[in-house]
Amino acid sequence: MSSLPKQNWNLSNNNSSRAESKRNIASWALTAPVLFWLIVFFLIPYLIVIIYSFLTPDIYDVKFEFSLDAYRQAFSADYLNTFYHSFSLAILTTLLCLLLGFPVAYYIARAKDKLKNTLLVLIIIPFWTNLIIRIFSWRIFLAYNGVLNDVLINMGIITKPLEIMRTDLAVTLVMVYVYLPYMILPLYSVLEKLDFTLLHAAMDLGANEVKAFFRITLPLSIEGIFAGSLLVFIPALGAYLIPQLVGNQKTLYLGQVITYKIKNIPRNWPMASALSLTLLFFVAVLLILLYALYRHNKSRRIA
Amino acid sequence: MEEIRIEHLSKDFDGFVAVDDVSLTINNGELFSFLGPSGCGKTTLLRMIAGFEAPSKGRIVIGNIDITDIPPYKRQVNTIFQNYSLFPHMTVFDNVAFGLRIRKTPKPEIKDRVGEMLALVKMEDQAFRYPDQLSGGMKQRIAIARALINKPKVLLLDEPLAALDLKLRQHMLIELMNIHDAVGITFIYVTHDQGEAMSISDRVALMNHGKIVQEGPPDDIYERPQSIFSAYFIGETNLITGEVIAIEDGFMQLKCPDGNGGSFEIGSTFHFAQVLGRELTVSLRPEKIAISRSKPRVQDDVNMLRGTIEDILYLGTHTQYIVRVGALRFRVFSQHKRVYFDDKALDWEEAVWLFWHNSDSWLIDEIQDNETSATEPPDGGVNHYQRSTKRPTKV
Repeated sequence: MSSLPKQNWNLSNNNSSRAESKRNIASWALTAPVLFWLIVFFLIPYLIVIIYSFLTPDIYDVKFEFSLDAYRQAFSADYLNTFYHSFSLAILTTLLCLLLGFPVAYYIARAKDKLKNTLLVLIIIPFWTNLIIRIFSWRIFLAYNGVLNDVLINMGIITKPLEIMRTDLAVTLVMVYVYLPYMILPLYSVLEKLDFTLLHAAMDLGANEVKAFFRITLPLSIEGIFAGSLLVFIPALGAYLIPQLVGNQKTLYLGQVITYKIKNIPRNWPMASALSLTLLFFVAVLLILLYALYRHNKSRRIA
Repeated sequence: MEEIRIEHLSKDFDGFVAVDDVSLTINNGELFSFLGPSGCGKTTLLRMIAGFEAPSKGRIVIGNIDITDIPPYKRQVNTIFQNYSLFPHMTVFDNVAFGLRIRKTPKPEIKDRVGEMLALVKMEDQAFRYPDQLSGGMKQRIAIARALINKPKVLLLDEPLAALDLKLRQHMLIELMNIHDAVGITFIYVTHDQGEAMSISDRVALMNHGKIVQEGPPDDIYERPQSIFSAYFIGETNLITGEVIAIEDGFMQLKCPDGNGGSFEIGSTFHFAQVLGRELTVSLRPEKIAISRSKPRVQDDVNMLRGTIEDILYLGTHTQYIVRVGALRFRVFSQHKRVYFDDKALDWEEAVWLFWHNSDSWLIDEIQDNETSATEPPDGGVNHYQRSTKRPTKV
């Protein structure tokens, strides 16, 4: 875009530079609120987090003494398990959302207009209820004396209630439930644009349904898979509420550990900050890798 | 013998009969067209041959193999889709190689055969471009190469030229005929464009409301339409209805009311028995009628009518006259050779003679009501009557 010649409609040089400066002021004025917002509510807090991560912990607050202890600890074996739990939960959630979301998105994309709109609304409806309320309903549903166990016992399928609440299974289940729409919607938007006669063309050329799916549908929906996976993976990595409400204290996730460092006395602000930034670092690396991959794909097609 | 036999094929979409008991044999190596207005069932028929639509009734047989229940990916039939349907995420090479790769063909063979195919469609130098970098004509060629690489017994073409502009369409039509000659397999071509069907096909099946109305070589359908629909759908025509009053010298005489209380007589060929005394319709192509200011010398077996020019439409290759005879309107095409003309060009409201030989009128075993005038289309047809915009002011 920068190679475009600059348009200059004014005949007099003097006039044009004045008009330009006016335009500059106008564009600054328009950007100012956003800039202000980002600086005050995003950049400054982040700077505080970065600074705190290099300080020394005190019982309630921090001592302004430089220290790398927090990072040393963050990368030590103590937290390896926590990172492992968080990453495996995020990966598992993403994969399950993808496996469940793809057929759903595909079905919605191929449905007739009226049904399509109904289904999309059904996907969005859960967002109208507060997340905590939805998680609590899962607690009622999964509890030892809960709805699920009642129904299964009454049907005679089991004799003793299942202990699902407060297990890793419960965490995964609720995670998939909460994040599934974030996977379905971007997948739907690419599948909706997919030209289904391409599948006919593939079958015409000798590909059965399975081959046609892997060679045509999947590659053509890769952008939606990327977008959906990011939308699920990143928040899942920092999950706090769900493990806290339906999980146990044996398997702790990064979000929980960070919260405990701030909540429990003696507080450790530097440790919490360092863990947050480490997580951010991993997410950033992942994003850059994915973006590079995406750019590589795109440039290959345009070249 | 790899002929295609379609036997009593029907397709019913929830009560809507798209294809209605069609039976047909397409010969090996033939270029066969299904022609008809949109919604006549031609595309459904093609999709059933390709395997994308299951027939409600009937069978499709290629050679000795009944393919009715075989899935599309196991049929030796390939299709050129209306919008080409090239895979956007693959290069030209990968698009063409798709069928071979699915069949796990060894790599060197893929390279050779894709090269051959690209050469056949003259696209060798485009192998590593992507479909969205190609023009419509180029996409068309790639679609042809991709379909032919599997060495199908039959190639199906679903309105393949519909998305191209006129010049390119004419060019690709010739290209398609050359490719047909080169590969020698059966082509089944579906189109709503009568010009395309006429110029490319060995045989044409004209379809309407799910049925084959008429089937035969293009000239046969044009010159000898078996129904008013055939006469009207292909080309343009004048339909004149009257009572058969005499048969002599192999021709019959038709007495036709002119809509103003009068009548005129015309002669025509006839090709079915027991016409005497019946009311029937004659199809008369506009280009068969000569138009002249002065009265032509009287000859045997020539029909002559006196009329008034109501409209003149200059069309470059020919001029279209609308001539009123009584209350009927005749459409007449006249090329600009001036053989029959006086020096001065014919003018609006001028009295003229129309004349044509008996053998140029063609009798149809149906009745088209004269009251609607000779240039009105039958039910469901298109009204071809256009009025010219440039009418000179009278001096």
